[in-house]
Amino acid sequence: MTVTEPEAAYPVETAAPAIERSRQRSVTGGMRSFIRRSPLSAFWGCIAAAVILMALAAPVLAPYEPLKSDFRAMSKPPNERHYFGTDQIGRDVLSRVIHGSRASLAVAFGAVLFGTTLGALWGLASGYFGGRFDILSQRIIEFLQSFPDLILAMAIAMALGAGFGTVIVAIAITRIPFGGRVIRAVVLSLKELSYVEAARGLGASHLRIMARHILPQCVAPYLILATTHLGVAIIIEAALGFLGVGIPPPTPTWGNMLADSLNAGLIPPWWLVLFPGLAITITVLAFNLLGDGIRDMLDPRLRRAV
Amino acid sequence: MYSYIIRRLAFGALTVIGVSIIVFLVLRVLPGDPLVALFGPEGFTKLSEAERARYMADLGLSDPLAVQYLRWVGDIARGNFGRSFFRAESVGEMILRRGPLTAEIAMLSVILSWLVGIPVAIVSALRPNSLGDNVSRFLSILFLAVPGFWLGMLIVLAALFLFGYRAPLTGPSLLADPWSNLQVVIGPAVVLGLGQAAYIARMARSSLLEVIREDYVRTARAKGLSRRPVITFHALPNALLPVITLSGILLGFVLAGSIPVERAFGTPGLGYAMFTAVSERDVFVMQNLVFLYAVVFVLLNILVDLTIAWLDPRIRYR
Repeated sequence: MTVTEPEAAYPVETAAPAIERSRQRSVTGGMRSFIRRSPLSAFWGCIAAAVILMALAAPVLAPYEPLKSDFRAMSKPPNERHYFGTDQIGRDVLSRVIHGSRASLAVAFGAVLFGTTLGALWGLASGYFGGRFDILSQRIIEFLQSFPDLILAMAIAMALGAGFGTVIVAIAITRIPFGGRVIRAVVLSLKELSYVEAARGLGASHLRIMARHILPQCVAPYLILATTHLGVAIIIEAALGFLGVGIPPPTPTWGNMLADSLNAGLIPPWWLVLFPGLAITITVLAFNLLGDGIRDMLDPRLRRAV
Repeated sequence: MYSYIIRRLAFGALTVIGVSIIVFLVLRVLPGDPLVALFGPEGFTKLSEAERARYMADLGLSDPLAVQYLRWVGDIARGNFGRSFFRAESVGEMILRRGPLTAEIAMLSVILSWLVGIPVAIVSALRPNSLGDNVSRFLSILFLAVPGFWLGMLIVLAALFLFGYRAPLTGPSLLADPWSNLQVVIGPAVVLGLGQAAYIARMARSSLLEVIREDYVRTARAKGLSRRPVITFHALPNALLPVITLSGILLGFVLAGSIPVERAFGTPGLGYAMFTAVSERDVFVMQNLVFLYAVVFVLLNILVDLTIAWLDPRIRYR
C-alpha cells in the first residue's frame, strides 16, 4: 500500500522512468508493439512509407517522362500502354501522378519542418518566459489564427509570386499558430513541476532548463502535431495548385493536374480527375491514420489536446 | 453577462485591427513593388518609366506606407471597397451580388453537417466499438482526407455521365428563382457539409462518450427514466457545447474551402471571385476580399463565444 500510493498520486512524475525505459527498448521492439496495438495505423504507416519511397524513386518507377508529350496518344482513356491514360497533350498520367508525389511531399515536409517547428519553439519560449512576451505572442498568434488557413496561404503565395519556395513559406506560416498554441499549453503545465523547480534551484540557466528538462517532454505532442499537419499541408498544397497559385506548371503536382483537367475541354475526361485526387486522398489518409496511431501510442491523454 | 460581452467585443475589435495590419503587410508590403504583382515580372519589365510613375501615382502607391494603410482602412470604414484593377464593377457591388450565394452555401452546409454528423455520433457513442461505430469512424476519417474540390469535380462528372445533368451556370437569387438557385447551391453545400460532418461526428462522439459517464446521467437512469429521454434531454445538450464551438470554427474554414469548391462546380459566388482575383493577380480585390473573409471569421467566432456563454453559465461567471 505505502509503495503504490505515491505512484497513483503523482502520475506525471512516474511517467518519466516509463519514457526512460521505452527509450532503451530496441527499435524493432517498439515497432512490434506499435503494430500489435494499432494494426490499422501500422498498415497505413506502411502506405505512407510506400508513398515516400515512390517520391524518392519517381524517375525509376515512372514508365514515361512526366513532361514529354506523345502527340499520337492525346486524351486517351486508360489502356495497356498507359495504365492511367494520357492528358490532352499526350502526357502519361501515371508518370505524372508518380512525379506529383515529389512536389506534394517536399512541400508538406518543408512546411511542417519550418512552420510547425518554428511555432513549437515559439510556444516553448512564450510559455516558459510568460509575462509581456507571452501576452504579445498570444495576440500575434490570435491574429494569424483569424484567417482560415487556405486564405492566408493564398494571399502569401500570391504576394510572393508562385514558386516552390513560396508555397512552402505560405503553408508554413499557416502552421505556426497551431504549433505555438499546443506546445505553449504543454510547457505551462510542465514548468510548475518540482523537477523543473529543482533544476532552477540548482542554478541551471533558462536555456539549459528549456533544452534539457522541458524540450524532451514536448517531443511527443510535437510528433503528433507534425504528422497531422503533414496531411493538412498536402491538402492546402493541392488546393493552391488547383487555384493556380501553387508550384507553377509544367511541374506535375496533383493540384496542377486537377486544374489542368478543367482546361481539357468542356467536360474533363474522368481519368484526369480521378487519379490525382485518389493519390491525394490515399496519402492524406495514410498520414492522418499514422498520426492517430502515434498519438495513441505516445500519450492517450493528449487525445483531446491536439 | 454584459461585462463578458463587452470584453469579448473589445478583444474582437483589437483582433480586427491586427488582422487589417497583417493583410496590409502581406498584400501591399510583401510583394515589394505592387506593379510587379499586378503585371507579373515579365509585364513589369515591358512598362516604360513614365507608365510606371503614372500607375504608381494613379493607384496612390507613391505615398508612405502608413498613409496608404490609413487611407485603405478609412475607405473600408466608409464602405468603399475600391475597384478591381481589371474590371469596371466595384468590389462592393461584387460582394453584394455574389456574397449571398456563398453565404447560402455556407449556411446550408452547416445545417447538413449537423443533420449528418450528430445522428452518426449518437449511434457511434451508444455502442462504442460496434460494427456501426467502426464504419462511421472510418468514414469520418476518410472524409477528413478527401479534398472537397476533388469530390466536387467527381460529383459534376458523375451527374453529367449518369444523368446528362449540369447545374445552371448563373446564380439567380433565392427569392427570384428558388428552384435554379437550389440547383446551383446544393452541390457545393453537400460537399462542404460532408467535410464538416466528419469533424462534427468525431467531436460529438467523444464528447457524448464523456458526458454519458457523468454522475447526473447515471442518476437520471437510476430514477427510472428510459434510455432515450436521458440521451436526448440530459446528455445531448451538454455534449453539444463543444460541437457548437467547433461548428463556428468550421464555418470559417467552409468560407475558405468554398473557394476551390466553387471553382470545381463553376458556382458564381464570392469564392469564385476570389479565385478570379488570384489568377488575375488583382492585389487590390484580393486585399479587400481577404480582409472581408477574416472579419467575417472573427465575427463568427465572437458570435459562437457569446452563444456558448449564453448557454453555459460556467463560462459567463468566470
